Amino acid sequence: MSATQEFDKISVGDAVSGRPFAVSRETIREFAEGSLDFNPLHFDEEYMKSTFGKTAFRDVIMHGMQNFALMTRTVTDWLLPKGGYHRRLEARWLNPVYPGDVITPNARVSPKNVTDKGRWLLFDVEIANQDGLVVARGEAMAEFPDVMPGAR
Amino acid sequence: MTELRLEDFETDFWKDAGDRRTWDDLVPGEERETHPVTLTKAVVAKFARAMGEDNPLYFDEDYARATPFGGIIAPPSIHILLMFACTGIHDWMRSPGTINAGQSWFYNIPARPGDTITMRGTALDRFIKKERLFVIHDNVFTNQDRAVICSGRGWTIHPA
Repeated sequence: MSATQEFDKISVGDAVSGRPFAVSRETIREFAEGSLDFNPLHFDEEYMKSTFGKTAFRDVIMHGMQNFALMTRTVTDWLLPKGGYHRRLEARWLNPVYPGDVITPNARVSPKNVTDKGRWLLFDVEIANQDGLVVARGEAMAEFPDVMPGAR
Repeated sequence: MTELRLEDFETDFWKDAGDRRTWDDLVPGEERETHPVTLTKAVVAKFARAMGEDNPLYFDEDYARATPFGGIIAPPSIHILLMFACTGIHDWMRSPGTINAGQSWFYNIPARPGDTITMRGTALDRFIKKERLFVIHDNVFTNQDRAVICSGRGWTIHPA
């Protein structure tokens, strides 16, 4: 099926279910080693007892960009088999995530757009923890191109 | 040699903390000091695994060769690593307590193992809001053909 046909099959409101991610000190360590972000916010329990201007934390926190990466995984893995290309993600963190939390990303298709040269899907994306608290929110944008960017 | 070796990077962000520019020192619009890095399959795989990725497109050359990409690519989120890989130990983003509040990125083409990536980055703006010190950073990553891989910006909150 072509990318156009796949695009036409998708409906506003379609749900994209992400897989849960269990956060631990080990996943935080692995994230740091893979990304080179060794900020003590993610490792130093003593340091985290201090206050950060107007912000306070009860333990080390997960890297905010772990949210970003999980949102990216969720939409990218859904798009690729359909011929869709993940074009953009904008996200912000609403609540800190701590070791022991289990976070799950979910996305929903918001209105589709067709421009002179492209077919575009927008998504509202959220990540919630085990208590249903939303920890990150974002908007993603995908293109359904005739030729995949980077195709060889 | 620009080949990226993750084990060569300093992991103690307190070391050299005094040499980094603080919120007060940052000049909006001034280019950050960066250096190019060359991605390897090992780095892409380690990064992808650390992000929670398990799509064989990032790990398995035989699988990836049969996709439209014709070989392993890096996950779109590779800029998470490149922000640190292309900047040095004195870059302000490594200041302990720098809190990331959110980011936005546009993806042009995938980065691939073997690509030599160059970063252009600035602290585009700084401001105070609700008693917090903010910086907006603005970045573009290009490959050896000067093609844009991705571009994006982020909001950071800084220690007072």
